[in-house]
Amino acid sequence: MSSDSDKYLEHDDTLRASIDRSLRHPVMFFFTSGAAWLAVAILLGIVSSAKVHSPDFLAGCPWMTYGRVFAAHQSALVYGWGCQAAFGMIIWLMARLSRQECRAAGLIVVAGHVWNLAISLGIVGILAGGGTGVPFMEMPAFAWLPMLLSYVGITIWSMVQFKVRPEGHTYISQWYLLAATIWFPWIFATANILIHGFGGSPLGAAAVSAWFHSALPLMFFVPVGIGMAYYLVPKVTGRPVYNYSLSLIGFWTLAIIVPWAGLQRLTGAPIPSFLPYLGAFATILFGIPAAISGINLLKTAAAAGDTVAQSPTLRFTVTGVISLLILGLAAVFLNSPGVLKMTQFTISGYGFDLLAIYGFFSFIAFGAIYFIVPRITRREWLSRRMIKIHFFLSVYGVGGIVLIALFGGLMQGVGQENFAQPWQDAAGRAFPYAVFTTLAWTILSLSNFFFFIHLTFMWLRLGRRSSHPTLLIDPHHSSPHGPEGDIDNVGPATAH
Amino acid sequence: MNFRQFAFGLTFSFGIAWLAVVVVPFFKLRNPSPVSYQEGVDTKTGIYHPKRTGRVVNGYEVYAENGCYQCHTQVIRNTDAGNDLGRPDWGGLKLDADTGQDTRRESNVFDYLGLDLAPIGVTRLGPDLINVGRRVPARIREAAGPDASAGEIDGAARDWFYLHLYNPRLNPELRDWSSCPSYSFLFEEREITGERSDEALEVSTQPGMEIVPGDKAKALVSYLMALRHDDPVPASMDYSPADKKGNTEG
Repeated sequence: MSSDSDKYLEHDDTLRASIDRSLRHPVMFFFTSGAAWLAVAILLGIVSSAKVHSPDFLAGCPWMTYGRVFAAHQSALVYGWGCQAAFGMIIWLMARLSRQECRAAGLIVVAGHVWNLAISLGIVGILAGGGTGVPFMEMPAFAWLPMLLSYVGITIWSMVQFKVRPEGHTYISQWYLLAATIWFPWIFATANILIHGFGGSPLGAAAVSAWFHSALPLMFFVPVGIGMAYYLVPKVTGRPVYNYSLSLIGFWTLAIIVPWAGLQRLTGAPIPSFLPYLGAFATILFGIPAAISGINLLKTAAAAGDTVAQSPTLRFTVTGVISLLILGLAAVFLNSPGVLKMTQFTISGYGFDLLAIYGFFSFIAFGAIYFIVPRITRREWLSRRMIKIHFFLSVYGVGGIVLIALFGGLMQGVGQENFAQPWQDAAGRAFPYAVFTTLAWTILSLSNFFFFIHLTFMWLRLGRRSSHPTLLIDPHHSSPHGPEGDIDNVGPATAH
Repeated sequence: MNFRQFAFGLTFSFGIAWLAVVVVPFFKLRNPSPVSYQEGVDTKTGIYHPKRTGRVVNGYEVYAENGCYQCHTQVIRNTDAGNDLGRPDWGGLKLDADTGQDTRRESNVFDYLGLDLAPIGVTRLGPDLINVGRRVPARIREAAGPDASAGEIDGAARDWFYLHLYNPRLNPELRDWSSCPSYSFLFEEREITGERSDEALEVSTQPGMEIVPGDKAKALVSYLMALRHDDPVPASMDYSPADKKGNTEG
């Protein structure tokens, strides 16, 4: 009996190692090129924010005018970093949970290159003056079809793996990932086909883009992030999910509520007025799935407080989960009846996007990267200090931006609504927040500098050859890199 | 939960919302049916025809590709949704010098016809622009006094827009606080051949040179000058506050 289970465990280890090995090229490709796009997004973020408080900075250069740089910044963050980090997480986690090796790694890498080419041309297109003018969908119309096709080339294998998974229990993360992989093309194709394919509905197109602006973060980044967190937290702490049925309830409340959100961006515009109020209501209700998943995950993590403090993965993941709770609260606050009119046309919308894409999703993605990369490169992270610096500067940077944008947006809204005062009063209120936003993006650039270096070392297979993971504990011995040890002997890291 | 339940639940939960807030409204908003004036209620009869002038479509392209909508909205929200109508010159003019009436009104579905996307906008780092083509000439008229001819006002407004696009902070009123970018790349610096061009901007440049608007600047200014959405609408779609309507609601 015991030899059976030993054999099973050994088989299990081998299977996991072979899954990791089969996926190492595509997953590393998405994480490294995603990180490179994050660098681009941060630099463009610094430039665009600097232009708000110092409009003569880089003035006169058409490629660097605010409207284009901001759009390029947003696109690089969403499609360059966010989507690619999500692809890496989806293909790895779906393969692991469905217990299937990836048989199409080459095709995924090719599709990943097509995706990168499409968004590169799209972002250069925006900067060159070819932007569409559709908020949040600025990339020129040629980009969306190659993006959609390469998306299919990247994720279809995960769906196949889910289909042929072994009989038995399906874990909650798989449902989240499967839903996200289905929602993304549905949302992306709908928005692009309606806006680029059918003219003559100016308000309809504005409404579709407003819906897309909510649907992409809430129906792609949020489910991928929650699904990943439901894997990482129990896995690293070694404890079961606090309440498994609650995780299913969280999934279905998310699926039922968030498709209705988004049109509150057009409150007061001449569209049927049930649409914006329904959108605001649904965004408020998003607080429910956010709270359910957030509390369930935190309760799971709370059972192992020491592990959370020591594990780089859990530190990032749990911070991301806390951001999810804050995201839920922000959704309730920003869209409540008295506040919506003040925050509708202010920087708090940007703050909400960043809270979702950076504060929540990117922290989960960083956590996942710290977990996955050592497994697929078969090397451990080099430096505890670099991880700590990355963590603290990220928390300060993103916390700063989100606080500034949410609060600054509210102050701006107070100025805008005060119609008896000249416009100058409302316009001037944005100034100090813009200065602090530039500062916060600069902190984030510094933070990610350490992350990029560290990831590059791992990508170059210069990580530590050790079976001891890099933990964030102060050592009693002198090495800043954690203890050395036996290397994992489940097989060679390179292909046969 | 098995796959069948999952697929059914996902299709149902997403599909209904997708139809109800995305697809059906998109096509419903495509061809708004014309609105008639009502006898006895409105001063006119027939069908409401929104006025449109200027190089709207290619001017809007310049507006879109340079991301003007990132900081400027084009919508006057109804009073439930915000205080836009309260501002004296956003939704029209509180006291229109031509008619002596309050022409402020909220935006309607006809204000965006002719474009493929209503440039509602994202944030208001700058002011709303849906009536900027009315607001700027009105300010110029106020400053110039009643003797100025319509042509002079129009020319001065055009110059105001060119200067604003060239560098907003050359305008003394905006110098200290405007964060609007300079679009000097839409202009050309060229040698003066013969007489100085009528369109040349009143800005300092090298001797013998002048700065004139390029094609894109001309298209954009034509579009901005055409942004006037203060024409009276049929009472059936006029939701302005009762106290400003005067005779229509006594």
